[in-house]
Amino acid sequence: MNYKEITKKYYSELEKFDSNLKIFENNNELHLTLSDPNQLHGLCEFLKKSFDLRLLTIICCDEQKLKAGFKIRHVFGSDVDDFFLFVISSINSSHSYFPSIYDVFPSSILYEREINDMFGLIAKENPNIKPLILHDFPNDIFPLQKDFKLNDVVKRNSKQFEFTPITGEGVCEIPVGPIHAGIIEPGHFRFSVVGETIINLEIRLGYAHKGIEKLAESMPLDDVIFLSERISGDESVANSIAFCNAIEKIAQLTIPQKAKQIRLLFAELERIYNHFGTLSGILADIGFQYGASRLNILKEQLMQLNEKLSGSRILFGVNQIGGVKTNITDKTLVGIHSVLDDAFQNFEKILDHLKSNSSVMDRLRNTGIIEKQMAKDLGLVGISSRCIGIETDARHTHPYGYYPSVNLKQKTPRETMEHQVELQKRVGDVLSRVMSRVDDLRQSKDIICSIIALENDGLSVSLDEELTPYSSGLGYAESHRGETLHWVMIGEHDSIFRYKIRTASFSNWPIIEHAVLNNIVADFPVINKSFDFSYSGNDL
Amino acid sequence: MKKNNDKVDNFIDMSFRSDTIQDPLKMDNSIASNYRGYITLDPAKDFILNDKIGKILENSCPTHAITYQNNDDSKINFDNGKCILCGNCQIKSPELIKITNKFDLAKKRRDDLIETFSMSAPFGKTCDELGKELKNKIDKIFGRSLTIREIDAGSCNGCEIEINALNNPIYDIERYGITFVASPRHADVLLVTGPASKNMERALKIAYDSTPNPKLVIAVGACACSGGIFGNTYATTGGIDGIVPVNVYIPGCPPRPQALLYGILMAINKI
Ligand code: SF4
Repeated sequence: MNYKEITKKYYSELEKFDSNLKIFENNNELHLTLSDPNQLHGLCEFLKKSFDLRLLTIICCDEQKLKAGFKIRHVFGSDVDDFFLFVISSINSSHSYFPSIYDVFPSSILYEREINDMFGLIAKENPNIKPLILHDFPNDIFPLQKDFKLNDVVKRNSKQFEFTPITGEGVCEIPVGPIHAGIIEPGHFRFSVVGETIINLEIRLGYAHKGIEKLAESMPLDDVIFLSERISGDESVANSIAFCNAIEKIAQLTIPQKAKQIRLLFAELERIYNHFGTLSGILADIGFQYGASRLNILKEQLMQLNEKLSGSRILFGVNQIGGVKTNITDKTLVGIHSVLDDAFQNFEKILDHLKSNSSVMDRLRNTGIIEKQMAKDLGLVGISSRCIGIETDARHTHPYGYYPSVNLKQKTPRETMEHQVELQKRVGDVLSRVMSRVDDLRQSKDIICSIIALENDGLSVSLDEELTPYSSGLGYAESHRGETLHWVMIGEHDSIFRYKIRTASFSNWPIIEHAVLNNIVADFPVINKSFDFSYSGNDL
Repeated sequence: MKKNNDKVDNFIDMSFRSDTIQDPLKMDNSIASNYRGYITLDPAKDFILNDKIGKILENSCPTHAITYQNNDDSKINFDNGKCILCGNCQIKSPELIKITNKFDLAKKRRDDLIETFSMSAPFGKTCDELGKELKNKIDKIFGRSLTIREIDAGSCNGCEIEINALNNPIYDIERYGITFVASPRHADVLLVTGPASKNMERALKIAYDSTPNPKLVIAVGACACSGGIFGNTYATTGGIDGIVPVNVYIPGCPPRPQALLYGILMAINKI
């Protein structure tokens, strides 16, 4: 279906809800303005019933300066159509409540907590409005409101965070973090256990909060790209592509084909080195050091390849608004292919070894199972959803950059069949996540190898005119963790008025609280690693 | 690796890659020549610093690592501790700024990370003022093996990737008798990354206090050295030396494994 047909379909349905809705089109976004925020709940129920939509994010923006109060944008997306639905409601500042939609889309709870932290607006019926990102913050200061200045000194209070108490005979609490035993990012996990078995887990994050969204508002447009790369170091390419996409969409800029190809190459290389790293981490967590080391060597090789190509081992600085900074020639392309061939030969050998090792398989199988309904309710993306058979992939549903032009070799009927059988085995346990990563890896390699020649229409185009103030756009990309969304609203003189980031990690984190239930504490590390979420990308 | 080298660009030839290596610090030739390791001031012969170029340079840096002073003697200060190696400044003034692929930049004093170019005084590096006395003293205390506790004080996880790489079979830091341990109570050294987010401030202090004396703190990455791109805001503290005393600074964004190794060895005076 092309975009026109898609919108027509939605238009005609939405008419049934209310024929007076104000609808406005912006590229592949449908903006729907509600005259009364109280309509929101009904509309969400309607959306859920009529279309199989997913809540992608809730964006709040302080537009009091524009005499529009606070605007709240609920963004929905579908897993089949390339389009986004924005439901916009305005809350005038005097009453600071907005309707919660947690009973229709349970994943809204997190976004509503975030808005409460950053803007001081309260989702009225939300049963859980504990602070999410800010720790010990006074409850009358809200960092993303416009009259709060980036460098304002905030006196933190020393109120203790309240974890939900779990009581009962034989129940013990194990607090872990924020500093962990391994070399990982900070976060606090509060386990309640009976014997060895975990009966409850509450995760408290926010330790890595660096004020990225606020900081962006004070930076020149060209510098924000460095910031977007540092949302999460290992997702630098995906996040900077998403940011560039947003700006390019706003500016209606078409970037050269070659730049698209190079972006795709780097994005897939990023996916490959990270998946190797994660698989290695999973093996390390079950004590299979041999496999872990072998995979670590592959990761290192890929990082050295990154370095040779871009000057940075984790691919910082490859993108810029309007294209890329780093060139790849046809000659280097041959080199990339041969490095990958070599790495994947090794990889398949390691994989055979793992599959025939029963002690490895035993630890992975049936550990950390998640349920499909839960995955749906929480709006999981990326590997976390694919491991249970929900196909979310921004590269397919919202083809961007060079992805629509990628031609993969057609699978033979036999291969398709075999793959189907494989998929049946995905039950949402650690093993399924391992296998989904393996799939992803092979696919990335195929994508890279399908590019055999580069176009030669230049590396980038520049933004000539100043961007229209207060225009906005949603950029997206598929990182190795899943879909990452960047919504940008431009301010005056090419500044950033609001930069809302929703990484895959943010929407996925809550699933861990469910995945660990009824597992033993000793399996927590491997369950956590099999999801491999970013703390920094969550806390921003 | 298959030996179809005539087809493969030399650029990608990674012949050393399959095995572990003898000494990561001596594998200079394996570092790509375009790798952005650190930036130094290397003026061309006829380079003249004027107001225009000074201002341009100052404005080109997203993290304000470059400052320009123009009282009677114009001066460019370049702070490696703040630099995130984006390369903007080199594009603006290739006559003065040079990106090298070196990694040996760790310094014991924050000030030593700042390079200065001035028109009046001939250009030269600040001399190394490392106290010999201290060196011997610490050498004695730490002996040969060392345990490290890594603390992420809000980094973007770029630095963690590189620290993790120290444990892979290629860099294999344990060959130096250095191991990562699970608790600050077992550690001699705290390896701290991130701009020290406000939310991690307390945890960092507690970890520092629980590390037994004598102890060292190493700041890893532009963020830990100065706040980096995240600076000093309501959510960050602008570098960890505002919270705990720092013994060695390893700048870079992120510093490569060799740079980390160099810094760690410097902390225990093995370099
Ligand atoms: S120094 Fe650079 S790589 Fe390290 S945490 Fe900071 S931004 Fe990330």
